[in-house]
Amino acid sequence: MKKNPYKVLGIKEGASYDEIKRAYRELAKKYHPDRYRNNPLADLAEEKMREINEAYDFLMKNAGGSYQYQTGYEQSYENSNASQSSHSQQYQSQQQTGSQYQSGYNTRYQYEDETELERKVRMFINSGNLNEAQRILDRMQARNAAWYYLQGLVFLRRGWYDRGYTNIQKAVNMDPTNFEYRNALNNLNQQYTGYRQNYYYRNSYHNNPDMCNLCMNLWCADTLCECMGGDLIRCC
Amino acid sequence: MFGYVEPDKPELKIREFDVFRGYYCSLCKSIGKRYGQVSRLSLNYDLTFLYILLDSLSTIPASGRMQRCMVHPLKKRFIVSSNIFAEYTSDMNIILMYYNLIDRWKDDKNILAGTGALAMKRAYKKAKKRYPEKCEAIESHLKHLTELEKNNCDSIDEAAEPFASVMRELFECGYIKDENERKTLGWLGYNLGRWIYIIDAYDDLEKDAGQKAYNPLISQYGYKGNGDGIGDFRESIKEKVNFTLTYSLSEAEKAYSLLGIEKNKGILDNILYSGLIARTDRVLRKRGRENEKESV
Repeated sequence: MKKNPYKVLGIKEGASYDEIKRAYRELAKKYHPDRYRNNPLADLAEEKMREINEAYDFLMKNAGGSYQYQTGYEQSYENSNASQSSHSQQYQSQQQTGSQYQSGYNTRYQYEDETELERKVRMFINSGNLNEAQRILDRMQARNAAWYYLQGLVFLRRGWYDRGYTNIQKAVNMDPTNFEYRNALNNLNQQYTGYRQNYYYRNSYHNNPDMCNLCMNLWCADTLCECMGGDLIRCC
Repeated sequence: MFGYVEPDKPELKIREFDVFRGYYCSLCKSIGKRYGQVSRLSLNYDLTFLYILLDSLSTIPASGRMQRCMVHPLKKRFIVSSNIFAEYTSDMNIILMYYNLIDRWKDDKNILAGTGALAMKRAYKKAKKRYPEKCEAIESHLKHLTELEKNNCDSIDEAAEPFASVMRELFECGYIKDENERKTLGWLGYNLGRWIYIIDAYDDLEKDAGQKAYNPLISQYGYKGNGDGIGDFRESIKEKVNFTLTYSLSEAEKAYSLLGIEKNKGILDNILYSGLIARTDRVLRKRGRENEKESV
């Protein structure tokens, strides 16, 4: 059964194009595959993303258009069409580049002397079979950058972030030119700062100036002015 | 080790705060009804969060009424009416508390803990009868934890694993029928448990260093001595602990957003996006509960 696209995007029925777009952008950011890398719930996030994309495409084609029929239908429809296709293209292209990276790495590794074992480890990590991946890693002889990277990935998937971070950092230090390792490290840091900077916490009282602060500042300014012979606030 | 999961009170709406307290009271009442008055003392905020979370997965709106209760006899309060999840969380609360008391009794022969454990033994047996598999799993995790502590485990990841697994066990509530939801809840619980364990370790650095008790952070980052220079040590590992804690929370938040909860969204969002990180910052800045009023 198909879900109600408005519900999927969390908006009122008959929402305008702008509202739909805003809701879509918000949700796409929330469930973006980059955020769920190394997360055991990645498949669920992907499914959610697909749902959101479908709902968005559907609304952009149908409901949004008919709702805005009277108010400059042609124009807004064209606009939304353009942006819609660019949106989903963007998302698709991101996905494609993602898989291109992966396939690129895979092929490169096959040409270079990447062992069969590493390929297997990757496979097991992707399928979520961490114990098997760990067993192979333990069996491997070389402790090169690739090994530390893969070990780091296994730790991250397990929820052992301290060791995961250390291992990936080590991989980057050993092979600073490798794009994949650096990318993984950046992603870790991004998740960390991303959570700290969510709108809820950032906009709260924790670091906002409050009324007390304001009065204090005014009073200080007034005192300073009076020092210099002037006056900012007459009554005090 | 308990009571770290709490809302960021100044950010809550008054209505939301009433509902939050309504859930808390409901859980407290449910424990009292099922396990006797003494057991009510064992309730904590972590389990209240679990109760709200589980209850919010169903779409039936929370109902309740103004009631009096023994603890606050003077004023009537809004109390959410009890349901299957209240019963489940109160059972889990009893089990967890009992293990906690036993552990403290064994560790440092704390008379209070010993008496408490004795008083709660009957309640525990009753709860165990209801959830034998859960108890077994939790017991084996905690046994593992005792072993790690005995061997002075020098990895915070490894040391946090058993308690995180206990929390995963609690969050994977059997009354949630959808398998994906259960899995998501489990991951949320795991990361929250990990966060609780590590933040507790950081909070207790001074105490553990003074008593030469086991503390995973002391073992991993090699602090030697008995209390001198612990402040510098605390500062030196702050960034690393900060990363681990915040990353665990970010993973918990990812799991939470996959649940797509609408009911009680204000309260849960507040806890996940603000309460936990505010708490983290307070502990990192070593402003524990004693200074809470000031920050409010």
